[in-house]
Amino acid sequence: MIVAEQKSLAEIRQMITPYQRVLILGCGTCMTVCNAGGEREVSFLHNALRLAESRSGNGIHTFSEYTVKRQCDYEFLDSLVDKIGDVDAILSLGCGIGVQAIAERLPDLPVLPGVNTSFMGMAEEWGVWDERCAACGDCILAETGGICPITRCTKGILNGPCAGTKNGKCEANKDMDCAWILIYKRLERLGQLDKMRRYYPLRNFRTIPRPRRVASKASIDVGEGNG
Amino acid sequence: MHSPVSDAHNYRANRTEKYLDHSLMPPCQAACPLHMDVRGYVDLVAQGKIMEALQSIRSGNPFPSICAYVCTHPCEDACRRCQVDKPVAIRALKRFAVEFGGDRMVQAEAETTQQEKVAIVGSGPAGMACAYYLRKLGYPATIFEAHSEMGGMLRVGIPQYRLPRQVLDTEVQRLTQMGVEIRLSTKVVSLDLLFDLGYKAIFITIGAHQSLRMGIEGEESPGVIDGATFLREVNLGLKPSLGERVAVVGGGNVAIDAARTAVRLGTKRVNILYRRGRAEMPADPEEVEQALGEGIEILFLVIPTRIKRGNGRLSVTCVRMELGAPDASSRRRPVPIKDSEFNEEFDTLITAIGQAPQTPGGFDVRMGKGSTIQVDPTTLTTNRVGVFAGGDAVTGPATVTEALAAGRLAASRIDDYLQHRYPVAGKAEREKLVGDLLPETIEMIRKISRLEPPILLPEARVKDFEPVELVYDWETATNEARRCLRCGMGAEILFQDKCATCLTCLKVCPYHVPCLDASGTIQIPAEQCQACGICVAECPAKVIVLRKPYDRRSINEELDHILKSAAESKSKPFIVGFCCQYGLFGIGTLANLWRGAKAGVWIVPVLCVAKVEAEQILRAFEMGAEGVFIAGCGEQCSREDTAFWVRQRVEKVRKVLAQVGFETERLQTFFPSTTNEDLAPELDKFAEQIGRLYLASAIMQEVKS
Repeated sequence: MIVAEQKSLAEIRQMITPYQRVLILGCGTCMTVCNAGGEREVSFLHNALRLAESRSGNGIHTFSEYTVKRQCDYEFLDSLVDKIGDVDAILSLGCGIGVQAIAERLPDLPVLPGVNTSFMGMAEEWGVWDERCAACGDCILAETGGICPITRCTKGILNGPCAGTKNGKCEANKDMDCAWILIYKRLERLGQLDKMRRYYPLRNFRTIPRPRRVASKASIDVGEGNG
Repeated sequence: MHSPVSDAHNYRANRTEKYLDHSLMPPCQAACPLHMDVRGYVDLVAQGKIMEALQSIRSGNPFPSICAYVCTHPCEDACRRCQVDKPVAIRALKRFAVEFGGDRMVQAEAETTQQEKVAIVGSGPAGMACAYYLRKLGYPATIFEAHSEMGGMLRVGIPQYRLPRQVLDTEVQRLTQMGVEIRLSTKVVSLDLLFDLGYKAIFITIGAHQSLRMGIEGEESPGVIDGATFLREVNLGLKPSLGERVAVVGGGNVAIDAARTAVRLGTKRVNILYRRGRAEMPADPEEVEQALGEGIEILFLVIPTRIKRGNGRLSVTCVRMELGAPDASSRRRPVPIKDSEFNEEFDTLITAIGQAPQTPGGFDVRMGKGSTIQVDPTTLTTNRVGVFAGGDAVTGPATVTEALAAGRLAASRIDDYLQHRYPVAGKAEREKLVGDLLPETIEMIRKISRLEPPILLPEARVKDFEPVELVYDWETATNEARRCLRCGMGAEILFQDKCATCLTCLKVCPYHVPCLDASGTIQIPAEQCQACGICVAECPAKVIVLRKPYDRRSINEELDHILKSAAESKSKPFIVGFCCQYGLFGIGTLANLWRGAKAGVWIVPVLCVAKVEAEQILRAFEMGAEGVFIAGCGEQCSREDTAFWVRQRVEKVRKVLAQVGFETERLQTFFPSTTNEDLAPELDKFAEQIGRLYLASAIMQEVKS
């Protein structure tokens, strides 16, 4: 799941300054799950912005709120079309993908990001999310016992652990488990410790090309005996 | 406001309206013959809303003050708190509501809108209830009573220490007020005569006053009396002389009543002879306990077989029993032990082994098993046209509440008959809650011991016929009422299509109730939910509501109302306080203190602070509140984790306050850690602080301009 964090109220107020009528738009999928932009956060932000307006004493903004099931598909955004007649800008509480989808679907309307899209991760407990995947495009989880050194090791090294590991924790953050110790323990359990002995060639993070598109459908030409 | 908002609001409002009160019928209500809204009035008592509680009770029960004394409370047997610790003391709470809510002051009124006269034969609870509801429906009703006083078993069967006569008299008086015609000392021997007198329908409710005979040698001897007759004589003012030593045969409530009455008449030694063991005794265990406390000895597994009279005393031959295989009533059948006979001397022997109706032959109605009157269970009609029957006369000896229910049903069936309507079987208003609490839920539920109402000491109570049980005081009653688990009104996912399955509810629930089903959909099992409201206020998609959503709605409504009043009053600065209405706060001591002494403090009453949402706090500030506080029950809360979640939301709001330039001290929480902790000084300090902050910011404004 995509995890994001709501921007500070100050930054959001800064962003909306030029626009009088702002629609706060929530997203009912990942942003709801990570407590950054679901219907509750939308109405909380709405209340917070109105409070700020009333506090500043010279507020010019008016706000409205709405939440779609998912911002990252045009079809869900179709319901917006008749809701933006008297709106000057959309403050999207969707992830970066949602913001861009809105920009594409509504070319004449400014769209502002209300959250900082942070990473792909999972909930550790209520209200705490941990990064699990960097979308590096070159997955090696099979070799590392299902534990990702790219995201979970501070250095992202492929041949760990480094000398900075201490009592199973990382030298950079004593609360953080050393990913490579976790990998070792897991491989030990699986009886695959030989994988620790292998050397993984250095990886050039800079040159990994972004895939830009993933297709799950096979490309079959139309008209070749497809019935 | 722009269209998207109002659209969303309308949508939500419509949906919420449609699903309003989706709650399931709790086991207490299902077990009650009158189907009283027990959960509803117990909750009102917990909030200290005694008048409303009484109103709720009166809407489902014609004579709540009678039930408050003598109800056998099947609701308490069904109460699901039995699975956690002990049931909520529902009957005692009803008594509290009746006494403190001013039931004596309630005036009953009825108008005659129908022509057809209805005759009611018998003035017991069924007859009285039938008359009450017939008058409500507008029919002229006449009660015929063979005895010299109204009430049937309530008068002649139940001893005064269990039901004070003033209580019964008040209800009878109310019936007279409603225009019920009462004919005392009038034994009806023929129904034809009643029809000749112009009555269009007759309800027979003659009770079961005839004691069953033991069928043993010497039962006719002087000094042997049956329980029903004995109680009747005492209750109608006679004082039979019983001698020094009395035996009562039987194990039901009548036997206990007879024995305790004998004690009160001055008998030195009273024995109860019962053929089974204590566990099999049909009498109310509380009554048995109280009887033992009054010095009554119970000889279990003993049955008299022969009575011989000599020298003015009774020589009773008894035999000891042992328990054999279970019989039809699924209790173990007692079997005599060979050669275990023994003799005991008594002055009086009272038989109380059961009672049956005695229907005059002139009624000409078809009889069933145990000389009861045969009726259709749905319509209560007998084989004779226009003749209905109900109560003990039909069921055999049963409870007051069952009789009241029969009377109520009879009134509506008689109405159907007189209006030529087809009688429809009563449909349950709502689905019943079924299923027990899971062990893991029980483990998380806070154990709170049951608070019993005070009772008189045995030495004091055997002296006269004063009521044994006293009424709760205000604080004990509200605290006892708070033990209610609010079965069947818990959370439900209202918009399953909008649920993001984020698992927040599953993670925040203190009772581990929400769960994922095999298809990956989140479920909140109704039979486990404790209705604390935490998931409702935390759900990021706002799709969870309480099945009985009145408290959530009322927070918003109350807040709007308070903010409007505060703005109108123009008293600056004003402070908004979200205060829990249960227990300590419901009693109103603190709320009164704030309202009375501190101008500018506005209270939003909430049913548990765990239901206050962060948005509502922000709204109070937006509308001009200079300070906001949340006051809950803290350690005394009957639910788990409520203070923790309030603090979470408070921190979230404080972050916003800091960013808009408000001091975070303007938002405070108050949770007393003990019962006696007085929050008033702390609140005074808070109000002063807000006053100072307001003054400071006003001066800053002046300086700027």
